Amino acid sequence: MSSGSNGYTEKDLRGMVRRWVSADRVPKRVRVKDTSDFFRVDYDDVVILGGTPYFVRNNEREGRFGLEDEPKFWVKRAIDLLTGETKVLKWVFRERFEARIGNLVFDCVRSPQKEARILELVRGRGDFMQGTTEQDSAGHPLRILDYIRGRTLSQITPLLGSDHESFFYDHFPIVLDEYIGVVEAIRFLHQSGEKHGDIRRDHLIKDETTGRYRWIDYDFNYRHGESRFAYDLFGLGNILVFITGRGDVTTNRLLTEAPGILDRLSPDDVNIVFHNRVANLKKVYPYIPKSLNRVLLHFSAGSQVYYETTEELLEDLGEAREELERR
Amino acid sequence: METKNSSQPKDKHFLIAVDGSESSKRAVLYVADIVGGFPGFAVTLLSIIPEPEEDFFDSEEEQIAWTKEKFEAANRMLENYRQVLIHAGFLPEKVRIRSCVGEERSFSEAILDMRCDLSCCTVVVGRHHKSKTEEFLFGSTSTKLIREAKNCAVWVIE
Repeated sequence: MSSGSNGYTEKDLRGMVRRWVSADRVPKRVRVKDTSDFFRVDYDDVVILGGTPYFVRNNEREGRFGLEDEPKFWVKRAIDLLTGETKVLKWVFRERFEARIGNLVFDCVRSPQKEARILELVRGRGDFMQGTTEQDSAGHPLRILDYIRGRTLSQITPLLGSDHESFFYDHFPIVLDEYIGVVEAIRFLHQSGEKHGDIRRDHLIKDETTGRYRWIDYDFNYRHGESRFAYDLFGLGNILVFITGRGDVTTNRLLTEAPGILDRLSPDDVNIVFHNRVANLKKVYPYIPKSLNRVLLHFSAGSQVYYETTEELLEDLGEAREELERR
Repeated sequence: METKNSSQPKDKHFLIAVDGSESSKRAVLYVADIVGGFPGFAVTLLSIIPEPEEDFFDSEEEQIAWTKEKFEAANRMLENYRQVLIHAGFLPEKVRIRSCVGEERSFSEAILDMRCDLSCCTVVVGRHHKSKTEEFLFGSTSTKLIREAKNCAVWVIE
């Protein structure tokens, strides 16, 4: 029995593993690993956190900065051997780096403390990933997250409806309501003085058990300037443009699919940051109501005024929602 | 003497918010040019330390050391600007310096709080030439000052 096994013998642990995985997946030896170094924890190991043994499965993966399916060695899926629930174990991986958007460079950090703080803040809320924090053997905060079964918003949205028009009339009002819900969730964070830090469409998972979107991954923080939440709002704007367009409407796509529409666009009509994405979607889909398009235009290159708070965005979304209902 | 002092008009008090940028330098020089040498003016030079949130530091000690270093650098810069104003004709006792940490507030909020505390009639800042994207993602202090300031004038120096 290793010193970190918390009283569990290898026989105990094998018996527990056998309860939750098929016989061919039960390893011949079950090793209890120290939790201080995620690189030393492998598939089929057991780690004990807060007295609970977890049977470690694969590393999680994430596509980011153009690198698809990068393994995240500090994030491992695991089975809680007491309950059989799937968890995601997130070790401390501090990272300070410069993010780059076009010519803009700004400081970012991956902070386990921030995520631990937010997990406490959002405990019990259906619109956020849930989890707890335990200290690893070196005293660092290791997060134990509930695994969310479901697909991301970026996977779901483009599959709704047979084309944009059918999507817009048959599905969009519900999609917009869901979007308003996730903006309200971010409003809660902001009102509590916290940023999400990494708002993007694959950080929203629709929980199969509740049918609601949950925000995930709150460990990023960015150095804000005058406007503390503007970068979060930029992320929310990108998601709104994405759902309204039933995917990204890019200038490249228009060039092949609708060159006539592309000719009608001006430089003001594209996304203020990503100039290959169209923000003024009414020029592409004329049935988009004016009030909704006005919201989209806040994220366009031609905009003169920007949202600084989720309150401002929600107010305009409310108007857009009403106009959709009247149609 | 007391009677005489109390009947004297109060100084017009300018608050110049500066950082290490060229635009801040222009703001200080502008005030020096416009009101330097005239009686009845006082200036407070303010520097706000843009301290990152605690998440950016590995420890409290690191954060304290970072802040201390920035304070020292800010005070050196403020003293240099103070000398510029004194050379332009301001009485030394009429030019004060202040530095503070931004904390949870935005720069504009910190500047306007200080303006209120010191009862300044005019806030002066340099205009940073930000790209539209930068202003969109991080905001603009001068734009916010113009929008939010009450009971004072705001000079934004190009």
